[in-house]
Amino acid sequence: MSKVCIVMLLVMSSGVAYSQQINPARALYNYQMSCQGCHGPEGQGGGGVPRMQGFVGLFLNTAQGRDFLVQVPGSANSALGNSELAEVLNWMIEQFGGSSNPPGLQPYTAREVGILRKSPLNEVNAYRASVLANITKGAAY
Amino acid sequence: MKLFDQFVEQRSRKIAQASSRRGVLKRLGSFMAGAAAFPVLPVARAANADTTSADKVPSESGDPASCDYWRYCAIDGYLCDCCGGSYNACPPGTEMSPITWIGTCLNPVDGRSYVISYNDCCGKTSCGSCLCMRDEGDRPLYRVDKANDLNWCLGTESSVYHCSTAIVVGLAYEDS
Repeated sequence: MSKVCIVMLLVMSSGVAYSQQINPARALYNYQMSCQGCHGPEGQGGGGVPRMQGFVGLFLNTAQGRDFLVQVPGSANSALGNSELAEVLNWMIEQFGGSSNPPGLQPYTAREVGILRKSPLNEVNAYRASVLANITKGAAY
Repeated sequence: MKLFDQFVEQRSRKIAQASSRRGVLKRLGSFMAGAAAFPVLPVARAANADTTSADKVPSESGDPASCDYWRYCAIDGYLCDCCGGSYNACPPGTEMSPITWIGTCLNPVDGRSYVISYNDCCGKTSCGSCLCMRDEGDRPLYRVDKANDLNWCLGTESSVYHCSTAIVVGLAYEDS
């Protein structure tokens, strides 16, 4: 088997593993109940609320950006449990990330989310700008 | 057959003499322009949001102008249905808020719970008709995303509240 085939199999299997951890109906419901009111049905944002559609995957290019998606108040302070929050984050990235998603997505785990949400952000807008600046500057993707 | 031809010819000539061709064009133009204008009104998003999937269109019963209507189980405000709009469309001259508070209501017809988005209509002073406060699932203000006792005219040109809609977003998830 060629190296190319092995790489393709690895990519395909990681994609399957990513999706397998998501219950789409439950994730959609939790998105609707906890996120959609501000981010909109398609993650389009608007009215001062950040757009996730075609953008959210950009944050996954750095560890700081990955943590940010859990530490934002909407995630960290939501009424969702750790496993539900991890699921809805993974679902949003899959649904809305599109071409902004980097290759080899690693799903959030309940444990990871549980640790990160204990440190919610306060000055979110300024911090978000610095996270994005670091991603652009570092060109880690 | 000849008689029939004569009859049709005479009728056609009479209609042509009695009617204005420009009038026909004007009416046709108005109809086409009007039809094209409707989708850009602020009500369009609500209408679209309500009909994108068969699952999202529940069987209906009840009076949307009554506070008892099933979709209003978690509402706190004036019913747009009494204010020149409907349960899923804003009255003319108002703008639907893109930022909303969302709850679930049990539909008595099919016994299933639906996710309802209570989009406020903004830009005119309070409607003042059909005040409805049922507040199921309402949480205190420290839980702002689940509190309906707020002005949700956010992200709109004007933050002046007029009335509230109740748009079905989808079926509520139930563990099987």
